[in-house]
Amino acid sequence: MSFTEKHEEITKQEWMDRLNSLHISRADMNRLIMNYLVTEGFKEAAEKFRVEAGIPMNMDTESLDERIKIRDAIQKGEIEEAMALVNNLHPELLDDNRYLYFHLQQQHLIELIRKKDVEGALQYAQTHLAERGEENADVLNELEKTLALLAFENPEDSPFGELLHPSQRQKVASELNSAILEVENRESTPKLANMLKLLLWAQHELDQKKVKYPHMTDLAKGDIEDPK
Amino acid sequence: MLMDTSDMICDTYPGEMIGREYMENLYGEDMDRVLHSVVKLKNAVIGNNKQKFHMMSLGVVGRLLEFIQNERAAVGLRTESAIVLGSLAKGSQANVKRLVDSGVVPILLQCLNNSNLKFVEGCLRCLRSIFTSQAAPVELLYTDPGVVPHMLDIVSQSPTTQECICSILAQCCKTSEHQGLLYSNGVIESLAPLLASKMYKVQMPALRVFCVITYTNQIVSSAVASATVSERPLPDLLVELCLRDKSVEMQMSSAKCLTYMCRANALSSQDSKIVYKALPTLIRMCKKDRRLEERVEGAETLAYLIEVDLELQRIASYSDHLIPTLSEFLRYPSTQTTVMDLKRLDYDMKHSYELRAAALMAFASLGANDEDIRKKIIETENLMDHVVCGLSDPVIRVRLAAVRCLHSLSRSVQQLRTSFQDHAVWKPLMKLLQNADDDMLTVASSTLCNLLLEFSPSKEPMLESGAVDLLCDLTKRDDPALRLNGIWALMNMAFQVETKNMAFQAEQKVKSQILVALGTDQLFKLLSDPDVNVLMKTLGLLRNLLSNKPHIDHIMGMHGQQIMQAIVLILEGEHTIEVKEQTLCILANISDGTTAKDFIMANDDVLKKITNYMIHANVRLQIAATFCISNLVWNEEEGALERQMKLRDMGVQKLLQQLLSSSDTVLFDKVKTALQQFT
Repeated sequence: MSFTEKHEEITKQEWMDRLNSLHISRADMNRLIMNYLVTEGFKEAAEKFRVEAGIPMNMDTESLDERIKIRDAIQKGEIEEAMALVNNLHPELLDDNRYLYFHLQQQHLIELIRKKDVEGALQYAQTHLAERGEENADVLNELEKTLALLAFENPEDSPFGELLHPSQRQKVASELNSAILEVENRESTPKLANMLKLLLWAQHELDQKKVKYPHMTDLAKGDIEDPK
Repeated sequence: MLMDTSDMICDTYPGEMIGREYMENLYGEDMDRVLHSVVKLKNAVIGNNKQKFHMMSLGVVGRLLEFIQNERAAVGLRTESAIVLGSLAKGSQANVKRLVDSGVVPILLQCLNNSNLKFVEGCLRCLRSIFTSQAAPVELLYTDPGVVPHMLDIVSQSPTTQECICSILAQCCKTSEHQGLLYSNGVIESLAPLLASKMYKVQMPALRVFCVITYTNQIVSSAVASATVSERPLPDLLVELCLRDKSVEMQMSSAKCLTYMCRANALSSQDSKIVYKALPTLIRMCKKDRRLEERVEGAETLAYLIEVDLELQRIASYSDHLIPTLSEFLRYPSTQTTVMDLKRLDYDMKHSYELRAAALMAFASLGANDEDIRKKIIETENLMDHVVCGLSDPVIRVRLAAVRCLHSLSRSVQQLRTSFQDHAVWKPLMKLLQNADDDMLTVASSTLCNLLLEFSPSKEPMLESGAVDLLCDLTKRDDPALRLNGIWALMNMAFQVETKNMAFQAEQKVKSQILVALGTDQLFKLLSDPDVNVLMKTLGLLRNLLSNKPHIDHIMGMHGQQIMQAIVLILEGEHTIEVKEQTLCILANISDGTTAKDFIMANDDVLKKITNYMIHANVRLQIAATFCISNLVWNEEEGALERQMKLRDMGVQKLLQQLLSSSDTVLFDKVKTALQQFT
C-alpha cells in the first residue's frame, strides 16, 4: 500500500493572482530585449530601442555588423556569399565545425533546387557533399532527404517540403550566428531563450511530480490555461 | 578539429578543373586579382579535405610560401596566404605531414617577427594547427634560438596570440632543456596572467603549459609556487581551477600541475592544496562516471602523487572508496558497465589494458609503505587474482605494473606467510624474469627477493623453474642493482631457520645447487665486488651456506682453501666494520663445524687476525672474534684439548681474561663462556 501525497489543487485565478503579485522591473525587461536584439543581429532595431528605452547597448557590438550581413545573405539565399563572409571574419570556424559547414552547404543545395537548377544541384552535391557524408554518418540521412527533393515535380509538396520553407534558412542563420558568438567567447543564445527554457523545465519538473497547476502552453502568446 | 578522412587520389575529381584554374590565377601580374584568387582559393579549401589535398598536389603551398616570404608583397596578400595554409593544416594527418615536409614551419616562425598583428595571427594559427597534430615537428621550434623568446614577447597581444602560443608551447615542451629554455625566457611571468583569463580557450592551453614545465623540474616548480597573479599566489589560482564547476580537463590539468609541483618538492605533501584539493580531485577522476581516458589519467597521476609519501598513501586509502573503485578497473568490462554507444564501447575495449595498468600502478603506490593498507588491498575480493593475471597480461605495460604492485605487497612479512602461498605467483613471475628488459628485471628480481625470504616451502618448484640459474646470471650483470638483487635472492634462498619444524630448513640440495650454479669463481668474484652492498649480501650468502654442521663440513671439504683465501683477503682489505663483522661471523660458523675447524687451526695467519680483532676498538668485531674462539675451544668437540693448547700458547686465554673487564654484557657473556671451556 503506497502513501500518496495530497497535492494542493490550485485554480487559474489563484495562479494568476500569485503571478501578478510578482514584480519584474521594466529595466530588467528592457535589458533582456536589448540582449536579444543584439545577439540575433537586429542592429537597427537595437539602435532605435536604445534611443527609445534609454538604455545602453552594453553588449560588445564588434562583430554585429558582420553578423548582420551574414544573416541577411542567408535570408536571401546567398549562401556562398555568407560562407565567404564568415571565412573572412573567422577563417577557422567552418574548418572546425564540419557539421555546421554541412548545413550551410545543404542550404546552398536547397537554393539550387529551389531555382530548379537540377544539373547544378547534382554537380554541387557530387563535388562538395559526398565528403561530408564520409565524415559523419548523421549527415548521410539529412543529405538523402535533401537530394530526394529532386525527385519531385513540386518539391514544396513533397514529404521533405519543409526544407524549402523560409524557416529552414532562419534555422541555418541562427546556427551560424551562435557558432560565431561562441568562437568570440560570447554567449551564443539570448538570455531570453534561457529564461523560456527555465520555464519549460520548471513545468516539466512539476509534471513529473504530478502536480496540477495552470500550464503556459503557448510560449509565443504567453497564454495560461486552466489546470486539467 | 582535424578530420582523419583518408586522402583519395581521384583521377576524375570533379573539382580538378577548378583547381588548375586557381593555380593559374596565382601567377598573374595584377596583384589585386592575385589577392582575389587567393581569397577564392581560401573559400574553396575551407571545410573540404579533398580540395586541400588536391590543391597541395598542384603545388599551391610553394606559391603561397613565396607570397608569405616576400617582404615587399602587400600585407593583405601575405595574410590571406597564411590563412590558406592554416586551412590546409586542418586537413587530414597526411596533409599536415606534407605541409611540414614542404618547409612551411621555419618560414612561418620567421614571419612572427612582422609587425602586422593580423598577419602574425594568421601565421600563428597555422603553426598552432601543425604543432598540435600528430606530425608535430617539435624540434623545429627550437632551431632558431630567437623564436621562443620572441613568442613570449608577443604572447599578450591578442586572444589569438595567447591561445596559439600557449597551445604551441604546451605541445613542444618535451625535455628538461626545453623547460629550462622557457623558464629562462620568462615563461612564468608571461603566462601566469593568462591563467586568470576569462576566455576558456586561452586559460586551458596556458594551464597545460604550466603542467609541462613543472614536471620533474624543481627549479621551475619552485618558481611557479612563488609566482603571483594580481597579487594572489599562483598555487591558489590553480586550486580554483580544480573546483567542480570547471571542465573535467581543467580539473585534471590543475590537479596534475599541483601534483608535479609537490613531487618536485615545491609544495609540501601536507599542504592543504595537495591534501584537500589535488588528491581528492584525482580520486574523483577515477570514478565510474568518467570516461576511460580520464580514469586512466586520474589513476596514473594519483599513483605518481602518493608514490613516496606515507601520509598521502594513508589518506588516499580511506578516501572516497578509492580501493573498490580501482578494483573495478581490473574487472573492466564487467556486468556493471553501461553501454553508451558502440563507438565509445569499441574504443574502451581496445584501451581497457590502460585501465588495468593504471590501477596496478595506483595499488603499487598505495601499498608501498603501510602494512594496514597492504592488508586492505590484499583482502579486496579477487584483487590478488587480478594482480597475478596481470603478471601474464599480453601487454607489457600491464605486466610491469603488476610486478610493481606485487613488489609493494611483498614487503609485507605477514602476507608473505599467508596469501602469497595461496596464489600461484611463482610461475608467472619466473616467466617474467626470462627475457625481461632491465626495468622489468630490477623490479621482478626485487620482488623475488622478498618472496624468497619467507616462502620456504615452495622452494622446490622454484628450483625446478630455473630460479637459481636465473639469479646467478643476474649476479654477472654490469648494473650493481641487478647484481644485488641476484645475490640477495640467493642469500634468502639459502637462509635456514633454526627451528624444529623441518619444513623451514633449506635443504642441502638447495645449498648445493646454489653453489654449483654460481660456481666458486663467481662467488669469489662477488666477494671482491666494488659495490659494498653486493659484497655484504655475498658474505650473507656464504654465511647462510655455512649454517649447520653437516653443511659446513661438506662445503669446507670441497672449497675450504678458496674460502679461507677469500676471507683473508677481505680481512686484510679496506672495508667497513659491517663487512669485517660479517666475515668474522663466517669464520665463527666455520669454527662450528667438525672437520672444518681444522681449516682455521691450521692457518696461523687467520688465528693471529682473530686474536687481533679480540682487542679491536669496535666491540662488535670483538664479539664476533670471541665467538669464533669460543667455538674453536668448545670442549665437547673432539680435539678440543689440542686446540686449547695451541690457542693458549698464542696467548688467547690471557686475552680472554683481559676482556672480562669489558662493560659490554654481550661480550662479557661470550668471554665467560669461552673461558669456561678451557680445562
